[in-house]
Amino acid sequence: MGKKLWLFGLLMLALLIFVACSDKDSEGDAEDTNPGKAETGDENDRTLTIAIGADMVTFDVHDHINTSTEAIHVNMFNYLVKRDNETGEIVPDLAESFENIDDYTWEFKLKEGVTFHNGDELTSADVKYSLERVAYGEELRDYTNYNQIKEVEIIDDYTFRIITHEPEPVLLNRISRIASGILPSKYIEENGFDHFLENPIGTGPFQFVEWVRDDRIVFEVYDDYFGGKNPDWDKLVFRIIPENSTRVSELLTGGVDIAVNVPPADWERVENHEGTYLAQETSNRTLMIFLRSTEGYPTSDQRVREALDLAIDNGAIVESLLGGAGVPTITRVAPGNFGFAEHLYDTYNYDPERAKELLEEAGYPDGFEMTFHSPRGRYLQDAEIAEMVAGMWAQIGVTANIEFMEWSNFVELRNAKENKDAYLLGLGNSMFDAANALDYYSATRFEGETDYRNDELEELLAAAMSNMDPKERSEQYVRAQEIIAEDVAHIVLHQESINIGVSERINYTPTMDEMIYVETITKK
Amino acid sequence: MNYFIKRVLEIIPVLFIISFIVFVLVFVAGDPVALLLPEDAPEEAVETLRTSLGLDDPFYVQYGRYVVNMLQGDFGDSFRYGQDAMSLVLERLPATLELAIASILVAIMIAIPLGIWSSTKKNSSIDLVATGAAVLGKAMPNFWLGIMLILLFSVTLDMLPVSGRGSFSHLILPAITLGTGIAAEMTRLIRSSMLETLSQDYIRTAKSKGLRTGIVVYKHAFRNTLVPVVTIIALQTSTLIGGTLITETVFAWPGIGQLLIQAVNTRDMAIVQACVMVIAFFVIVMNLIADLLYQVLDPRIRYK
Repeated sequence: MGKKLWLFGLLMLALLIFVACSDKDSEGDAEDTNPGKAETGDENDRTLTIAIGADMVTFDVHDHINTSTEAIHVNMFNYLVKRDNETGEIVPDLAESFENIDDYTWEFKLKEGVTFHNGDELTSADVKYSLERVAYGEELRDYTNYNQIKEVEIIDDYTFRIITHEPEPVLLNRISRIASGILPSKYIEENGFDHFLENPIGTGPFQFVEWVRDDRIVFEVYDDYFGGKNPDWDKLVFRIIPENSTRVSELLTGGVDIAVNVPPADWERVENHEGTYLAQETSNRTLMIFLRSTEGYPTSDQRVREALDLAIDNGAIVESLLGGAGVPTITRVAPGNFGFAEHLYDTYNYDPERAKELLEEAGYPDGFEMTFHSPRGRYLQDAEIAEMVAGMWAQIGVTANIEFMEWSNFVELRNAKENKDAYLLGLGNSMFDAANALDYYSATRFEGETDYRNDELEELLAAAMSNMDPKERSEQYVRAQEIIAEDVAHIVLHQESINIGVSERINYTPTMDEMIYVETITKK
Repeated sequence: MNYFIKRVLEIIPVLFIISFIVFVLVFVAGDPVALLLPEDAPEEAVETLRTSLGLDDPFYVQYGRYVVNMLQGDFGDSFRYGQDAMSLVLERLPATLELAIASILVAIMIAIPLGIWSSTKKNSSIDLVATGAAVLGKAMPNFWLGIMLILLFSVTLDMLPVSGRGSFSHLILPAITLGTGIAAEMTRLIRSSMLETLSQDYIRTAKSKGLRTGIVVYKHAFRNTLVPVVTIIALQTSTLIGGTLITETVFAWPGIGQLLIQAVNTRDMAIVQACVMVIAFFVIVMNLIADLLYQVLDPRIRYK
């Protein structure tokens, strides 16, 4: 029997070795790509390793609507134009120049000599293929952000026109964000789209090597990149590490150079550790409390909404729950976005005494009871924020019963329009234009869900939507934000922060759009 | 042999029932489209996507379609990845198997010596420490133990890699994390069944014949405790799979567990189904193997 036991042990061991070796082929040279210690050895010295929280979704640039997937894509695909993160201006990328011909037409000239990773040259045909694929592809997830495009007309190999159905003032913003990457039409036509998904190529500074799902995505530098070969990095590795504390531990031990989404509990750990620092930047995501203006709800009265807003000390929330990382604001349109209203930003209204007076005027001298839905774990400290807000409301006599919800149930509640008095929501804006942000206040968009309506605002939004005069359009949006603030359509709390742990061996500044541009990351 | 064929055939209805239960659970749990699109997706986009994924059909149509496809070995495409679900699951299977087998080995290496040792020194301080350790091992949640091991061995002592899969050293911490709970259960079981065996007449006879303690314990007593040990290993397979869900996430181990958690979070029905089927299949097969092993371990057991 002793022999049998040994045999059993040996069998298990053999199985283990077999399994451990069996998928080496599919992983390629696993040892080679294993990041291990990022700081040892010459090769590793030229490898940049970035830890992200969730796996990339796909290489189909048109079919993900996922910020963290796009943060990877920007390193292997290029847009025609891109947003300069310092100035907020739209500047050429693959395009050499662009010009607005008339209200419906934009003409672009491509840079010459740009090549895809297989050596094919970029031409107008690639642009036509890419933009029309998403503009016509109803089944693609980014379709509704591009179906404003009627067609792409090729003038010659390097010149083309984008024609829209309606006057489209935000066209340049539209084509400098998620799903704007230009795909290799010839390569895809020859090999099929499935082949492209497994062996993707783009025009970017890094080319695809392998994707081990839920583990890592590996790229290597592209020597013939039109912007010049990257001087610092030969290899780029994105590692998928879902657990926050593990991601931070990898950073502290030098296993990775960058760890995204460091939770507030770990900020001190990263700051105090020798060899790492915390890089913070305000994101384009704003945390808000949506209120029901539907008749029958106390919040349908502007005075009640204003009272609820005045009761909240936004500054205290940012200081005590977010360690000061966040900007209190009255408007959803943040700096860097078209139509930004400076006087409504980095400020908030807080006056609990006035709030009580307003409640009394509105006929609620003893306050009232309401339901407040909040997701948990979706946004930075969301549940804590909801509790603190409810505590502040209690100070003016309003009892808010918080209903914490799992994200998918929360989304369903909203879709079914079964939300009650208030709910907490964070909204980003990849378009960087007030049009996208303020659409949330149009009466039609939220019929049955918030039922807020202001006729003057409706007119302003409609006029701005197709106004091709940037100056006038900007003024329209600033005025719109003033109306929204006066009405207290919803309560705007603060702009969230992006919190990234970084190794001291590199220079990295996060950008507001939450993309990770490896081109801007340099070795110290 | 007939018994074996019967048992294998039984797998089919069991898997079928499991698939139905999982389908119903995922169906009532919520709308995947809500999770595939961002907060500010217009209703038009939600509707378009729901139609293109066939999610606007009634339950029986969706289930019917699913069963027909499943019978042809097609579990459908993942909503999230847009790829064949079963191949995504099978791609990750080696990683999970590697971790599971390593954990069982860790458990065996801890539990057998510890269980035997504490049973032969009943009520001594060694026994007390061993049983105490077993309770502690069982009580520690996987995710906590995993994080603590990382902090100690990787961050503080800098001995082992924090996470990921690649070399043998990557396997050590997750295997210990997952193996500890199983080792705890096994230790207690080995100890109690050893105690029972050691009090049997034939052990007293062996001892009185003047055989060395080592031979009595290992040759005469231990072989008779193997049946319950094999049972517990087989039963622990399901615990093991449950454990991999958490352990794989903590250690960023690219196996089925991590895939399943993400799939549940995003209501990715096809992946959930394929994962559950593969896991269920393994649990059933492990139980079958255990039943067959009994015959080898204890010749008195015969199935008809």
